[in-house]
Amino acid sequence: MSALMADAAAKQPVVTLLRAHLACARMEFRAALTYRTAYLSSFAMMLLQIWLLTVVWKALYDGREEVDGLGLTTMTAYATLTTLQYHLVSPWRSSPIDQRVREGKVAVDLLRPVGFPGQMLAGQLGWASAAVPVLLVALPFALLIGAGQAPASTAAGFAYPVALIGALLVNQLLGLLLGMVSFWTLEVSGALMAYRFVAQFFSGALVPLWFMPGPIRAAAEWLPFQATAYTPAAVYLGQVEGVGIAAALGVQLAWIAALGTLASFVWSRARRRVLSQGG
Amino acid sequence: MRGPRVYLLLAGAAFRAEFQYRGNLFINIIGGLFYQGVGLAFIWAVLDRFGQVGGWGLGEIAFLYGMRLTAHGLWVLPGHQLIHVDEVVIEGEYDRYLVRPVSPLVQLLTRRVRLSSLGDLAGGSALLVIASASAPVDWSPGAVCFLLLAVVGGALVEGSLQLAASALVFRMKRVSPIKFAIDMIFSDFGNYPLKIFGPVAGFALTFVFPLAFVAYLPATVLMDRGEELAVPEWLAWGAPGIGVVLMYAAYRFWERQSRYYESSGH
Amino acid sequence: MPVIEVADLVKEFSRPKQQEGAFAGIRTLLTREQTVKRAVDGVNFTVQRGEMVGYLGPNGAGKSTTIKMLTGILVPTSGTVTVAGTTPWRDRSRNARRIGVVFGQRSQLWWDLPLRDSLWLISRLYDVPQARFREKQRQFSEVLDLGPFLDTPVRQLSLGQRMRGDLAAAMLYDPDILYLDEPTVGLDVIAKERIRTFVGELNRTSGTTVILTTHDLDDVEELCDRIILIDHGKVAYDGAVDELKTRYAPHRELVVQTDGLESVEGAEVVRREGGKVWLRFDPVRTPPADLVAAVLAQHRVTDLSIVEPELESVIHRIYADRG
Repeated sequence: MSALMADAAAKQPVVTLLRAHLACARMEFRAALTYRTAYLSSFAMMLLQIWLLTVVWKALYDGREEVDGLGLTTMTAYATLTTLQYHLVSPWRSSPIDQRVREGKVAVDLLRPVGFPGQMLAGQLGWASAAVPVLLVALPFALLIGAGQAPASTAAGFAYPVALIGALLVNQLLGLLLGMVSFWTLEVSGALMAYRFVAQFFSGALVPLWFMPGPIRAAAEWLPFQATAYTPAAVYLGQVEGVGIAAALGVQLAWIAALGTLASFVWSRARRRVLSQGG
Repeated sequence: MRGPRVYLLLAGAAFRAEFQYRGNLFINIIGGLFYQGVGLAFIWAVLDRFGQVGGWGLGEIAFLYGMRLTAHGLWVLPGHQLIHVDEVVIEGEYDRYLVRPVSPLVQLLTRRVRLSSLGDLAGGSALLVIASASAPVDWSPGAVCFLLLAVVGGALVEGSLQLAASALVFRMKRVSPIKFAIDMIFSDFGNYPLKIFGPVAGFALTFVFPLAFVAYLPATVLMDRGEELAVPEWLAWGAPGIGVVLMYAAYRFWERQSRYYESSGH
Repeated sequence: MPVIEVADLVKEFSRPKQQEGAFAGIRTLLTREQTVKRAVDGVNFTVQRGEMVGYLGPNGAGKSTTIKMLTGILVPTSGTVTVAGTTPWRDRSRNARRIGVVFGQRSQLWWDLPLRDSLWLISRLYDVPQARFREKQRQFSEVLDLGPFLDTPVRQLSLGQRMRGDLAAAMLYDPDILYLDEPTVGLDVIAKERIRTFVGELNRTSGTTVILTTHDLDDVEELCDRIILIDHGKVAYDGAVDELKTRYAPHRELVVQTDGLESVEGAEVVRREGGKVWLRFDPVRTPPADLVAAVLAQHRVTDLSIVEPELESVIHRIYADRG
């Protein structure tokens, strides 16, 4: 990401820059809270989703102790965890960019003394962090209606937050890339919907990778989406252990590097396009 | 017959406008295909691991899924624009609808058209035809008729839920989370025989959130599995009628709620 | 015959109270406190058929809220609105056929379609007979010079072209009343003039009642005989433009170019600059002719003019007085 902000960073001290990004984040955080009934209702919906998922898995297990060596409690804990994570990692707005483009506000954003992708990332993180307070409130309820479980081991407990941050970054970069598509085509809502379905499925948020049939599992393993949901949940529940944890985190890191490079490349093209067409 | 004529007039304009963006047409159709592909992959994954679900095999589940998807496509084709109800109301586009002698809801539904909905409908129908051939159904003319009515009824049930949720926008300003949640419940739970969820959830998904009427109830009686239902069979045969009733109720709700419209900026 | 009757009109909006200080965002989210804002607070007026009324007020005075209730967009909290015998919000569709609405900021046209298609669609939505539509389109094309861009998609039109298109669309079905909300905002002088001429002509030939809200008081001075001033949700003034000036700005100023004028009876020197002197007087107590005669009798004057107060400064003074 540093490459993305290089042009702006070169001219400014780090502290000012940090403060500017924090301001972007805080603005979006407040924007996310503006429509309070919707905000609160989205969490009621989340609890409902957790409850229904546990009902679905219980029904699918239909009294069996284990399927493919996995117990029902592990599975419901997985479903609870991924649903909770999903609200933080993948809020329903995947990027503010298409909206800014449609409303013609990009020109204003470009005038600000902070790099555009940096602003958008900070803003989106602020927007996503609006989930934190209610997530904390919702957590005990979620554990109550779902099936909560402690981390599988001490190592898992320490690795989980790292994996969660990795998941957040991968998803932010994906959202940024997707948002920048709107510089080429104005109407992205159709593509965004399709993206959500594909990303959600291959992230393992609906069906864990270990339940996917061979070819689909292979596809999921080679796509970046699994790093956004499956990886942290699998680490937490001890489905990957020891060296496996390091490998899973390594894959996340590789995706962050790859997507970051791609994003800075796309942005350099997008900026030229914006500058020549006036947003 | 002013109503249908005006609808066709506005829908025609939306189609003409949409053809100005050829690139999006392609992206949207790809999007539609992905949506269907993901749904199929999900069912495949579950049945691959769990064999049967509640005594239903791949043929039965595929038939259920085909019905739901076709109903979905049938609703989304005219109803897709409801997804933009938040921005239409917040940004005051709704003002414009109110100063024209045409139902504001009709103007909202015809503000744009999403051509990928045609893809949804075609894909769903194709799956339904294939699944129908392998499903254990005695295809008398009456059964075919009922299937068609049930699919229309299913579209009306889904539409009524989305319309009712959209109507809340006049008071809540932002209802997309609720509408996503409805979509979520449909896609997560609509593909299974609902009896596997036990009596409480089964009751709730029939009488509180009427998902059962979209595909499960009509599919069950068509496959002559009526005895496994927790509700009387006549209710399942009446699913298309339920769709009409719910849509009417949702429309009345929309009309009442729209009086709370506040416009933007004073 | 009154075409618009407004009685005791009130509109309130309630919002969750914005909290301040630490965790303001979250506290606003959780609060049950509501702030109720009275945007329109007991407005009364009637408009006769064929009048051209300027409806003016500063931002947030309740101007757009009133117009939205008149057009049927908003439902009043209390009070009544009757437009051509119907209640707009209750009988929305019938009201819509009798009114034309032009929002300067927001187009009524189909964004992605050529202007011609928009006009045709409007004619069908309002059941205009096709022969009549063709005649109207020809007439408007001539007066508003739509010809050069009839086949251009609306999103590619300039602001001035789009406004002309919007006006044509709003008048296509011969509405009795035309509501214009900031019709000239952002336009250049020539485009403004063209729109004013069109509206003035329309009122003279078809007797269309016009309700105009604008920040450009030149629009009002050129078009309206009557203005209604609204401030803090209440009517601050309702009457003729001339009378407003006499009441709130009774003074005129005589500007003379002369050599060393010290004072004149019946007038007060308010400003001096170069050889110019500004004399303020009340035309009722000191007839202008007498004042001019008095000045000419004592001084050698090379130039002389009487200045009328501008509407803009008059209105500024009213708002300043009311605080």
